Amino acid sequence: MAIEVLIFYLLAGVAIAAAAGVVLARNPVHSAVSLVLSFINVAAIYVVLRAEFLAVAQIIVYTGAIIVLVLFVLMLVQQQDLPEFHGGRPLRRAVGFLLGLALLAEVAAAILTRSLRGAPGSWTPEAVAAVGGNIQAIGRELYSAYMLPIQATALLLLAATIGALFLARPELIEERLAVARRLFTISLAHPRGVDTLQPVAELPAPQDGQLKPAGGDRSLVMARTAEEFTEQPAWGESRR
Amino acid sequence: MDWEALIVSYLLGFVLLNILLVLMAYMTWFERRLVAFFQDRIGPNRTGPFGLLQPIADGVKLISKEDIVPANADRLIFLVAPLLSFVLAPLGALVVPFGDSITLFGRQIDLYVIDINVAALYFLAVGSMGVYGIILGGYASGNRYSLLGALRSTAQVISYELVLGLSLVGIFILTGSLSLVEILRAQQRTLILGGLELPNWFILSQPLAFVLFLIAAVAETNRAPFDLPEAETELIAGYFTEYSGFRFSFYFLAEYINMIVVSLIAATLFLGGIDGPFIDGVWWLVAKAFIFLFFYVWLRATLPRFRYDQLMGLAWKVLLPLALINIGVTGLVRLWGIGAL
Repeated sequence: MAIEVLIFYLLAGVAIAAAAGVVLARNPVHSAVSLVLSFINVAAIYVVLRAEFLAVAQIIVYTGAIIVLVLFVLMLVQQQDLPEFHGGRPLRRAVGFLLGLALLAEVAAAILTRSLRGAPGSWTPEAVAAVGGNIQAIGRELYSAYMLPIQATALLLLAATIGALFLARPELIEERLAVARRLFTISLAHPRGVDTLQPVAELPAPQDGQLKPAGGDRSLVMARTAEEFTEQPAWGESRR
Repeated sequence: MDWEALIVSYLLGFVLLNILLVLMAYMTWFERRLVAFFQDRIGPNRTGPFGLLQPIADGVKLISKEDIVPANADRLIFLVAPLLSFVLAPLGALVVPFGDSITLFGRQIDLYVIDINVAALYFLAVGSMGVYGIILGGYASGNRYSLLGALRSTAQVISYELVLGLSLVGIFILTGSLSLVEILRAQQRTLILGGLELPNWFILSQPLAFVLFLIAAVAETNRAPFDLPEAETELIAGYFTEYSGFRFSFYFLAEYINMIVVSLIAATLFLGGIDGPFIDGVWWLVAKAFIFLFFYVWLRATLPRFRYDQLMGLAWKVLLPLALINIGVTGLVRLWGIGAL
C-alpha cells in the first residue's frame, strides 16, 4: 500500500468521525467545531490529490468565513432559544428518519452508478504542468469554458448582496437621509454635518445679586522666581 | 517519494519554528524596552544585562502559575483554544523563502521549507484559521466580557481578511503566480524608470496595496490601534480574561509570533525579501522584517484605540473600495501591457 493511500485513510477516518460528531454533539458550538475539523481533513485530502488551490479555497471560504459566521450567530442566540437537538415530537422524528433514509439512498445511488475512476479529461498532469501549475490550469478553465456559469454566479451573489442591503435599510425616510449623509464618513456616531454649531439662544443677563464678588483682596502678581512667589500670602491668609 | 528532500524540509521547518520561538520571546523584551523609551521610562533592565534575561524569567513565572478553569467554562474547548492559537500562529512562516538554493554535501538544498504554488493563499488560510483560537477561547470562558471580545474579533478579522486578501491580488496579477518564491524572483529583476534603475520591489509598483496590506495586517494581528478584542478599558482584556498561567501565555505568544510572521511575509511580498544591495541574503529579510516590527511597536506607543464602529466603517467604506480600485487599475495596466514584466 502506497503511503498516500495510508494518509488518505487516516484523513478520511478523522473526517467521518468529525462529521458524526457534528450530528451527535448536544452543544451546537461543539457541532460547529466538529464541522471545522471535518472540513480541514477534507482540505488535507485535496492536498494529497494535488489540488492545492481547492484545499486552500476550502479552508478560506468554509472554515475561515462560513463556520466563523455560524459561530457568531450561535454566540448571539440564547442557548434555550435553539431548537431541541435530540428527541422532539414523534411525527418529526419519523419524518426526519425518512428524510435521512432518502438522502442516504440518493447518495448511495449516485456512488454506485458511477465507477470510482472516471474517464480522464484533457487536463493530464503534463497539460497542467505545461500551463504553469494547478492554479493557472483552474484559472484558464474557469475563465474560458465556464465563463457563463461564473458570470451567473457573480450576478446571483450581487443580487443576494443587494437583498441584504435592502433588508438592513431603515424604515423611516429621515433615518434613510441620515444614513445617506454619513455615507462617506468613517464614524457612525459623528456623521458629517451633524456636529456643526447650532445658533445658541441668548442667556438672560444675571441680576446684580447673582454676581459673586471678585475673589479676595489679593493682588495679581507676576512672579519671576520661586522665592518671589512663595513670599506672597496664600489665599485667605491676610497680609501682615 | 523523495525521502531525503522531505527530511531536509522537516529539519528546516523544525529549526525555523525554534528560531521563531526564541525571536518571539525577545520580541516581548524589544517591545517593552521600546515602549518604555517612547514613554520616557526605562523598561525592564534588572534581569541580566539590559534586562535580556527578562523573557526567560517571565516564561518561568507563567509556566509555574496555577492553571485555573472557571466553573461555568466549556471545559474541553477552554483547554484546547489557546493551543489552537499557538499552533497555528507560526505555520505561515513555513512558506517564506529565506534564500536561494545552496549546495551542501553534494546535494542541492533550497533555503525555504516548502515552495507550494498557493503559498500566498496558504498564508491567508492559516491567518483565517487563527481566529478560532480567539472565538472559541472567548466563548468557552463563560464570561460576558470574553464573549464580547470574541464577537468583536470575529467581525474584525473577517472584514480585514478580505482587505488583506484583495490587497495582494495586484501582486498576483503582476507576477502571474501565487508562489512566494516566484514573487521573490519577480522582485529581483531591475525596474527601469526613465533614467533610474530601481529594484523591482512591489512597494514601488503597488504602493496602495502596500498601505492597505499594512493596515489590514495590523488589524488581523489584533494589535494597537486595532486591538478592540482585548480592549482593557472596556472588556477587561476581552477573550483571555479568564485565562491564567501558561494558557494565557500561549495567547500572548501567538500574538507575537503572528506579528513576526506577518512582518516576514510583508517584507517578502513588498520589500523584495532577501533582495538587497551588495550581497543578497537572509540578513536583508531580517532587516526588513525588523522595520515592520519596529513600526508595530511605534504604532502602539503613538495611536489611541479605534472606536468599534470606526473600525468596521474604515474596513468596509474605505479600505475595501480602495483595494477593488487597485485591482481594477492593475488589471487594466496589465491588459494594455504598460509596465509588463
